[in-house]
Amino acid sequence: MSQVDQFESVFRAAVKEVFEYRRIDIANVLIVTDLEAEQARSFKDVVAGFLRFPVADTERQFFVISGDEYKTTSDLLELLASYSPDLICTYRNLHSDAWRFPHSLGEHLDVILQKIDIPVMVLPHPAADYQSEHALQDTTDVMVVTDMHAANDNLINYAAAFTDPAGNLYLTHVEDVRIFERYMDAISKIDVIDTELARKRLGEQLLKEPDDYFHSCAAILQQHHPEMRVNSLVIFSELVAEYRRQIASRKLDLLVLSAKDERQYAMHGVAYPLTVELRHIPLLLI
Amino acid sequence: METMHHTVSAGVTYLFAAVLAGMILALAMEEKLHAKKSIIVGVFAVSSLLLASIFGFIPFGDVIIPGGLRLHLPVYIEAVDWEVIAIIIGSSLFVDVTSRSGLFSWIAIKLTKASGGDPLKLLWYYGSMTVVFSAVLNNVTAMIIIGSLTGVSLNKLERNNLLLGFLLTEGLLTNVGGLLTLISSVPNIIVGNTAGISFVTFFLKASPYVLLATIATLLLGAKLFKIQSLKSESEQLAAADLIKGFDENDGVRSRRFFWFSAIILAAFILAIATTSITPVIRDLGMGFVAMAFAVIVLTRFKHDVNEFYQAIDWDLILFFMSLFVVINVMEHAQVLALIGQGVAWLIGEGNSGTGTASLLISSALFSSVTDNIPLSAMLAKILSNLNIANDSPLWWSVVFGANLGGNITPIGSASTLVAATIIHKHQLKMSFVDFVKVASPFALMQIVMATVYALVFL
Repeated sequence: MSQVDQFESVFRAAVKEVFEYRRIDIANVLIVTDLEAEQARSFKDVVAGFLRFPVADTERQFFVISGDEYKTTSDLLELLASYSPDLICTYRNLHSDAWRFPHSLGEHLDVILQKIDIPVMVLPHPAADYQSEHALQDTTDVMVVTDMHAANDNLINYAAAFTDPAGNLYLTHVEDVRIFERYMDAISKIDVIDTELARKRLGEQLLKEPDDYFHSCAAILQQHHPEMRVNSLVIFSELVAEYRRQIASRKLDLLVLSAKDERQYAMHGVAYPLTVELRHIPLLLI
Repeated sequence: METMHHTVSAGVTYLFAAVLAGMILALAMEEKLHAKKSIIVGVFAVSSLLLASIFGFIPFGDVIIPGGLRLHLPVYIEAVDWEVIAIIIGSSLFVDVTSRSGLFSWIAIKLTKASGGDPLKLLWYYGSMTVVFSAVLNNVTAMIIIGSLTGVSLNKLERNNLLLGFLLTEGLLTNVGGLLTLISSVPNIIVGNTAGISFVTFFLKASPYVLLATIATLLLGAKLFKIQSLKSESEQLAAADLIKGFDENDGVRSRRFFWFSAIILAAFILAIATTSITPVIRDLGMGFVAMAFAVIVLTRFKHDVNEFYQAIDWDLILFFMSLFVVINVMEHAQVLALIGQGVAWLIGEGNSGTGTASLLISSALFSSVTDNIPLSAMLAKILSNLNIANDSPLWWSVVFGANLGGNITPIGSASTLVAATIIHKHQLKMSFVDFVKVASPFALMQIVMATVYALVFL
């Protein structure tokens, strides 16, 4: 390795992502259901009780779409466009009973998540009995799930906005241990790379970048939400299993994820398995 | 040192002159030969020693050291100037260890942030930093640090179009900064040591020129490469926003070691500067000071010093040792005396202005195409043999010429070669001829300024 590379690495490592705070205002909430009108209104009351934060500048408006207002995904997209809300609240497998199985989100939700730039909150299915006991009560414990590139100001700003001002906000980044091991296995077969050194330094660097960013987030969020406890968790683990553990052990009320991937039409690679499998608490998909 | 010369025929002198010319030519073609300097000069050192032994003009025998002791030293050992070798090994070890503290990258990033991302301010800050780092560290390390930071910061500021101008200006400033102190470049060490110029005298005489040349180079660089200040407030805000992500503390792993390095660096500069006037140290010399400071900083790494030993530029050290052997042989072969006649003709009688200017310009031209170290070593020896007083401007002609000549071509000095390497690393096109075209206005300006300075002020 040349000295030029060495110093370039030092300087590249010194360039860090700096969090920028933005206030999030949710004035209009649209609740999309496949229920009959009366049941849909009851569901709205549950959602309204849950969404106490962020506090809106004006009184928050809730709109409800019931099951008989649309049949196809195109119908639903047209309806959504006519409301132009700040937040959509819905649940998986609309107009389907596939919600019984933890394998899909359903055709409507799949398309909404990618076609529309409005944040979508995916709630536990109203008919399901797998909802966590603490789900839909409050947003005292909110966890942000960052993807491969941890620095995502928008995601953090939304998560902070939905968190109870006196609650816990967890900023997390999980490096997939299986992917890391796959690369380390390849490195262990290359004679010019010191495997142990590579494991140590690569592991440290992968965790350092999100950690530095989360420190920057915590410092700035503290100025705007002085009573909120901002915690960070940066580890190697298995993605779905780890978040399952986190939800259970910390009794999380909301998981905030990034669903969009500019390079593809499908949902982001990290968000999809978590959204499909973590059905027992609300998920906010940005 | 007293030297006893055997009688050497003119034919033998010319033969060895051809060997010397062959070595200089081979060094100029280093890239083409695809061989390291130490190997090229090593081959010439071995061959010339063998030839000298065959012709029988090398004085073999014991060496009498102070105190009257006789020592048997091989001729290739006594030929080497060990003071110079000690300064180079000591300084490079010292700089390598202290740079691990993150001190230099901390300074570099602090200045980057202070610029607020303004390109013109950045050019002045980086340019000044290049000069100071070249003076304190060495030209190559300075170029590596500033050049790599320039690539990263201009990329962050989305100003890659200015990269070529920045890198070239910095590369050309390394050789200006290399003039600042006695230990800033190898020609300075060799000439200063031979002439007996103290560190303080060297600094006082060189610094006004370095200041003027730096300002002139930066003004010319900003003009030729169209590097301007940000005009609108929105541009300034956007640049400041991009630059704020730099964290100067990222490379600082231990605060204690950081401050230790800062203090020991200041102590090192002070000790080197006062070597010639400090009792006890004065007799031990600058090489001792450099080695002593290297040992002090290495104690921090106790068991892990091997990585620093491995980082020593053995090519440079062996190159020097071989070069001293070649020059020693050339002295015995009367080649230096022969070239000395040419130099004496060039510099004329006494301290003539024409002589000073001619020597400076010809040194610059020679060092633009070949290594400036053999050139300065040879000229220093010749001036010494001509009994030139140590306050003569002729010594400065060699110093200025050998350093600034490196700015004419990309192969003229190691630091401009590093600049060219970084330029190519960033996929910027710059051929040998392109470099000469762009660099020649700078080199011409610096050499003219140096000539006037040497004639008027030295």
